[in-house]
Amino acid sequence: MAPPLSPPALRRLLLLVLSLLITSVAAENVEEFTEELLLRPLPDRKALAHFHFRSSAPPSAAPSRHHHHFPKAIAQLVHQFHIKELELSFTQGRWNYEQWGGYDPMSTNYAKPPGVELWATFDLPLGEIDATWKNLTHTLSGLFCASINFLESSTAFSSPRWGFKLNEGNLRYGALPREAVCTENLTPWLKLLPCRDKAGIASLLYRPSVYKGYYHSQKLKLASSKSFGIILDQTLTVVLQPDSVRGKQLHSADGQLQPSWSMKDLFNRKLSGKCLVSKSSRVFFEIEKNIVDKVDKSGTEASWTNEIFVLSSAPDRVLKEINNMDGHSSSICEYDVSNYNEDAPLDVGVTWKLPLIWSCTPAPYHANRFLMGSGNERGSISLSFISTNMHKQLFDVSNDCSIKAVVFQVVPWYVKGFLHIDEYPPDANQGFDIPSALVTFPEFNSSRSYPETDSLFVSPLLRTFKEDGVVKSYTEVLLVPLTTPDFSMPYNVITFTCTVLALYFGSLLNALRRRTGEEERELKKAGNPTMLICLPVYDAHISCVI
Amino acid sequence: MASGRGGIPGPSRPCRLPLLFLPALLPLLVLLAFSFSPSSAVAAAASPGAMHNNNWAVLVCTSRFWFNYRHMANTLSLYRTVKRLGIPDERIILMLADDMACNPRNNYPAQVFNNENHQLNLYGDNVEVDYRGYEVTVENFLRVLTGRHESAVPRSKRLLSDEGSHILLYMTGHGGDEFLKFQDNEELQSHDLADAVKQMKEKHRFKELLIMVDTCQAATLFSQLHSPGVLAIGSSMKGENSYSHHLDSDIGVSVVDRFTFYTLAFFEKLNMYSNASLNSLFNSYNPSMLLSTAYYRMDLYERPLNEVPVTNFFGSVMKIIHTDSGYSGFLAAYNDGILLSTEDNILNHAMLQNESSQRRSNIEETEEAQLRSHGLTEVLLEQLDGKNADTIAMYGLGTMGILLAISTWLSM
Repeated sequence: MAPPLSPPALRRLLLLVLSLLITSVAAENVEEFTEELLLRPLPDRKALAHFHFRSSAPPSAAPSRHHHHFPKAIAQLVHQFHIKELELSFTQGRWNYEQWGGYDPMSTNYAKPPGVELWATFDLPLGEIDATWKNLTHTLSGLFCASINFLESSTAFSSPRWGFKLNEGNLRYGALPREAVCTENLTPWLKLLPCRDKAGIASLLYRPSVYKGYYHSQKLKLASSKSFGIILDQTLTVVLQPDSVRGKQLHSADGQLQPSWSMKDLFNRKLSGKCLVSKSSRVFFEIEKNIVDKVDKSGTEASWTNEIFVLSSAPDRVLKEINNMDGHSSSICEYDVSNYNEDAPLDVGVTWKLPLIWSCTPAPYHANRFLMGSGNERGSISLSFISTNMHKQLFDVSNDCSIKAVVFQVVPWYVKGFLHIDEYPPDANQGFDIPSALVTFPEFNSSRSYPETDSLFVSPLLRTFKEDGVVKSYTEVLLVPLTTPDFSMPYNVITFTCTVLALYFGSLLNALRRRTGEEERELKKAGNPTMLICLPVYDAHISCVI
Repeated sequence: MASGRGGIPGPSRPCRLPLLFLPALLPLLVLLAFSFSPSSAVAAAASPGAMHNNNWAVLVCTSRFWFNYRHMANTLSLYRTVKRLGIPDERIILMLADDMACNPRNNYPAQVFNNENHQLNLYGDNVEVDYRGYEVTVENFLRVLTGRHESAVPRSKRLLSDEGSHILLYMTGHGGDEFLKFQDNEELQSHDLADAVKQMKEKHRFKELLIMVDTCQAATLFSQLHSPGVLAIGSSMKGENSYSHHLDSDIGVSVVDRFTFYTLAFFEKLNMYSNASLNSLFNSYNPSMLLSTAYYRMDLYERPLNEVPVTNFFGSVMKIIHTDSGYSGFLAAYNDGILLSTEDNILNHAMLQNESSQRRSNIEETEEAQLRSHGLTEVLLEQLDGKNADTIAMYGLGTMGILLAISTWLSM
């Protein structure tokens, strides 16, 4: 009658099995959200702040399902338009490749051309992609309050096979250089986050300071497949000038100090806790390779506090880049936001003690684009490449000076032709914008790997740094002054033509119908006129009846 | 008996259940179709007594370039007022022809002010602009009003109003005798606007419409209107200019127009629950302060202005009627909900069915004249010609109830 195992042991075994099952099932079918912020000082007295939010939804067999943190609008977008990958960026300002670097993962992935850039690959037969692209641009314009629907016309988008990314013809690329980026684009972007801008790292976004920056770029990146579901990456990269009073000190001997700044100086507020639905919430402070190099040269070891600078508080962890090439590597100080709350907010910052000048690694060539000549016939667009001699440092081959570069640029046809009068924009005399050209160097790779100390969780931001990324740079947007027609000509033509016709027909009718001197002849015939009754008759001349 | 009821009946039982369901399905379909048609007829009825149940705002700024900053500030001031008094972003169509807040000439990025004291940032943190830049054209404006869009246009860019909507249409920019200039290269004429409003009325896209225009010679823009239910006010009459209020020497341009400034001065004293009337708004304009005559026309509007609260157009306050009985408007959903619940016993079912069928027949009698024809109901009605659809529905419900009772008894 008694069961083989004793009841308490049986119960414990059952519990263990159940919990394993539940966790295994839960781990596969759970939506995750992580938020991260990376801060980095830049050589020209500015500061870079990079916000990274990742939301992932597990794959589901049916197109409809319940959403917890993952935004339903994005899931519906992916299913309706069969999107495999999509990237949409709104940028204002130009990434200064000379000062801020061109060889690190940040400048490769997050330096975008000014205006709106959208590219997408679809999981559809090639004939249906153009129509789907058109509907996608309209939907995105409604979702993000921008005029992305202008990308539907065939002059605005292109389908490059190898210039942009290698694909089988299901990629479409479009850019709008003159699109303004302002709070109304950030508002719906923030509404896709589970905590919006009310809690967590997104609560730092004080709009006037974001839009006062030298460069700001908000990006949305989607990747979807049947194996891993949908991964949504939302990033906001801002380059700001901290205007703290502390930054204007002069060091006695060696010149001006770099400005000391903290999150309060950049964003006017501190972090008072994480978003409660996020799996992890971290702030990283990156100390670049060249800074580490110089600090090491000065003698002390480059930790969070040393002779040259000191961070505002001790980090929870310091990660050093795994680098096989030379001894120096960048390091990242990590702060976990869940340890802080409203009473003890987090305010990461740096205070400089000694002046330091460093430079960021540039791309192999600085690419610039400009106009030469004038007018439609003798004008030209020129691209210039200036070598930075960086390949010698990396590859150590002094004789070989050939480097492969791929240039992708879209020039609208009407730069060389003429537009119809109603196809001109309302302020046509300003000129037309030609979108940025993209220059890629396929032989160079800008990935960086950091040690993964936590086996259960890997930071998405650091994982994107590890991904293989070819070095790319975008050139400037060009403003081409095209000849515009005289827009008052239609009005002039109508006026002149109507005047001429009126004169012609008027004189013709006069000549045919007017009887001059008829009244006097009638009067003479009748003899003694007693009364004259003059009435206007239908054909507008007066006839007098006696 | 001590160990519960007797053994489960033989394998023939599971086969019988699907067969029993089949005759119940057809009456169920009939019931559903019939219950949908009166409710949809009620919803789509073109009755003049349609209740006011939602508010929309269409705010248009038609000027481009930095020196027209004040037109943007006018529109954003109205946007802020309308949001503060309750209309959500989904019911507001905001059209801004240029970007002032993040304009390179703006010394205060992401901030737009309508006063030189810079107390109020009109742009805020939460603004959604539906049409901006080159999209603000006469064509798009008329498409928004009449609702004729291409199929790809998203919902947030459409005016989805119905016959119970009150719409506020605010336009500002440069205008003249019977026209309004859009973006410096095209114009909207007064008879175009009158035709669009006439189309809107024909398509039952509004119950009442308030047009507010702040341009030079504004009253001429609505001189051609002839649709009922429209109220219009303009900042100046024919031959008069509308002037800006003051110049902000920090930003460098005028920041607000007089008419809008005094409109805002009126609204800043109100909150969502105030019942100030339109009459008090229209009488608050002082010609000597505006330097023009604010002219309004109410000949097309049948309600007296002192009975219309301003929140009927500028805010979103629902009139709440407290009743003790259940709401009978959504009868179909109520019935389905009852049918789908499986825990009730048959008596409850029968009682509720009787009540709902009585109510349904009452509604059918009253709404018979307004029944619109739907394809499905026509087909079903033809098939049921001569028979009383009510009794069939009752039989279907009864069968369903019996089946449910049997299945619950079996599962116990």
